[in-house]
Amino acid sequence: MIEVQKLLKTFHDRKRGEVAAVQDVSFVCQPGKVFGLLGRNGAGKTTTLRMLATILGPTSGTAKVAGHDIIQEPAAVRRAIGYLSGETKLYDRLTGRELLEYFGALASMGSSAIAARIEELRGPFGLGDFLDKRVGKMSTGMKQRLSISRVVFHDPQVLIFDEPTAGLDVIGARAVLSLIQDLKKKGRTVIYSTHIMTEAERICDEIAIIERGRILAQGTVESLLQRANQDSLEDVFVEVVGSVDGDR
Amino acid sequence: MTVKTLAVFRKEAIDTLRDGRSIFAIFVFPFLLYPAMLLFISWMHMKEAEEAKALEVRVGVVGGATLPFLADSLAAISGVTPVPLDAPPASMETAGVNAVLVVPAGILESIARGDSARVQLLYKEADNKSSAAAGRVEPILDQVREALTVSWAQSHGAHTDAPPRLVVEMKDISLKSETGRYVAALLIPFLLMIMVAAGAMQTAIDATAGEKERSTLETLLATSASRTEILLGKCAAVLAAAITGAVTGVTGLWFTFAVVAKAFPTMSSPFELTIGPDKLIWLFLTLLPTAVFLTAVLVAIGCFARSMREGQTYATYVYMVATFLGLGSLGQQTPPLSRFFIPLLNTALLQREILTNSVQMLHAAAAVGVTAAAAAVMLTIAVRLFSNESVLFRT
Repeated sequence: MIEVQKLLKTFHDRKRGEVAAVQDVSFVCQPGKVFGLLGRNGAGKTTTLRMLATILGPTSGTAKVAGHDIIQEPAAVRRAIGYLSGETKLYDRLTGRELLEYFGALASMGSSAIAARIEELRGPFGLGDFLDKRVGKMSTGMKQRLSISRVVFHDPQVLIFDEPTAGLDVIGARAVLSLIQDLKKKGRTVIYSTHIMTEAERICDEIAIIERGRILAQGTVESLLQRANQDSLEDVFVEVVGSVDGDR
Repeated sequence: MTVKTLAVFRKEAIDTLRDGRSIFAIFVFPFLLYPAMLLFISWMHMKEAEEAKALEVRVGVVGGATLPFLADSLAAISGVTPVPLDAPPASMETAGVNAVLVVPAGILESIARGDSARVQLLYKEADNKSSAAAGRVEPILDQVREALTVSWAQSHGAHTDAPPRLVVEMKDISLKSETGRYVAALLIPFLLMIMVAAGAMQTAIDATAGEKERSTLETLLATSASRTEILLGKCAAVLAAAITGAVTGVTGLWFTFAVVAKAFPTMSSPFELTIGPDKLIWLFLTLLPTAVFLTAVLVAIGCFARSMREGQTYATYVYMVATFLGLGSLGQQTPPLSRFFIPLLNTALLQREILTNSVQMLHAAAAVGVTAAAAAVMLTIAVRLFSNESVLFRT
C-alpha cells in the first residue's frame, strides 16, 4: 500500500529562486490496484515517484510505502519496492546474469536464492537465449525483458513505474503493460506514471491528473469521465489541464 | 565491508576489467610504453652519434702560426677542415666556419713573462653543427695546453719537449646496484604517484559521473543499499585499480631495464634496478593512504560532475597536481619536516627516504598520519556528496 500525505518538493533555481516541482500531493494506492499518475512532461510525475522511491527527499509532507515512512525508514522502503523508469539504462559491460546477480545482492539476497530466482524467471521472461550475453550487445527487446526481470527479481510488494514504455515499440510496451496486469493480479501495489492516455485507461484502477506539481483531478476512469462529462480520458485531460493553462 | 559494498565493488571491478581504456592504461601502457621509450631514446642517441661522426665541419684558426702543429692536428681529425683566419670573425656564418680556435698574437711572449693567457674555442651550443665541430676539436685543446706549458717551461730554462703526464679527475666509483638504488629513489616515488593517479582516474569518473551519464544511477539509488555502502564499494574498486596501476607501473619499469635493456646489448643500462622485498612492502604500505586519498578525491569529483567530460576535466587537474607534487622525489637534499605535511609530496619524499635507507621516524609519522587523515576527510566529503541530492541531480 502507498499513502501519500501533502508531499511538497521545491528546488532552488538561480533565476527563479525556490521552485515547487510537487505541491500538496496526497493519494492512496491499495494492494492489488494500479494507481496512475497522468501528466505532461515536467508536470511533477517523476519527482513524485523519485520521492516515493527515496531517491529524493521531500521538502515537507511524507508518505508510507508498504507501511514504511519514506523519511524515517528509507532503507525499509527501498527493500519493499521495485523501480523502473523508461529513462534508466542497464550496465552495458555486464552480462544479463551478472546484472541480475548484482541487483539481487543489493537486495540482500544470498547467492543460492539469486541462482534459484534466475532459473525461476528464465522461462517466463524469456531470458534463456541471452542471459550470458553482454547487455551492450542485446537488442532493445532483450534489454526490456531484462529490465523487467530486474524490477521483480527480489519480489517487491510495491512497484513504481515511471513512464516505463517510453522509447519502446508496440510489442515492448505491450509486454510491460501485461507484466503490470500480472503484478496487479498477484496483489502487488503498483504506481504508474504516463502521459499516454490509452495506457492509463487500459491498466489503471485510479488516476490522478497532475499539472505544475499539483493534482488537479483524481478518481477512477469512469468517475473522471462522468465528472467532466466527456467520452474519453484524453478529453478529460485536455479539459483539466487546459483550465490551468488558461490561468497563466 | 558489507555484502552490498562487496557487490558494488565486484560489479565495478568487472566493469573496469571490461573497459578497454582502463585495461590499456593499467596493464598495456607500462609494458608497452616504457620499453618503447627506452628503445626509441637509445635508437635516437645512436643515430645522433652516427650523424655527428659523419658531419663535415670547417674550423677557423686564428694565430695558427704561433702553434704550427695545429693545422696538421686539425686536418687529422676526420671530417674537419681547418680554415686559417687573420682575426676572429664578426659572424661565423659569414666566414663560412662552424667553430673558431683563437690563439692570441704574442701568447708565447706573454706566458714567458708570467702573464696569463687565454686560448679560446668559439662555437654555438644552440647550433647542432657548431656544437658537433666543437666536440670534434675539443681533444686538440689538451695539445694546446701542453704546448704552451712546454713553451713556458723552456722560457724558464727547462730542457723538455713534453710536460709530465698529470691526471687530476673525478671518478664515480658507485656500483651498478648503488646507482640503481639512486635512480630508483629519484624515479619510483614519482612514477608511483602518477601511476596511482592514472589508474584511479578512469575508474573513478566512470563509476560516478559515468553512472549519471548512462542513466543507471537512479536504478542503483532505488535499491536497498545505502548511499554509503554504494560509495564505499565504488571507492574500493577505484582503489584496486589505482594500486594495480602502481604495481604494473613499477613492474613495467623493472621489465624495461632488467629484461628489455639486457636483450639489446647496445642499450646496456649503466645501473641495476633491484629493490628488496622489504622495501617493496614499505613502498606499498606508504602508498596505501595516498591511494585512498587520491581515490576519494577523484570519486568526490565524479559525484560532483554532471557528465563524464566535466569529471575528466576536473580529474586531469588532480592528475597534474599529483604529478607536480610527485616531482618532489627528484630532489637530493634532506627536506624540512614541513614538507611532510603536504599530502602526495610527503609520500614521494618518504618513499625516497625508504629507497635510500634514510628514513626519519618523524618524517614517516607526519607523512602517513597527515595523508591518512586527509584520506578520511576526503572519503567523508565523497560520501556526503553522494548523499546530497542537489549535487547528485544538479543540472
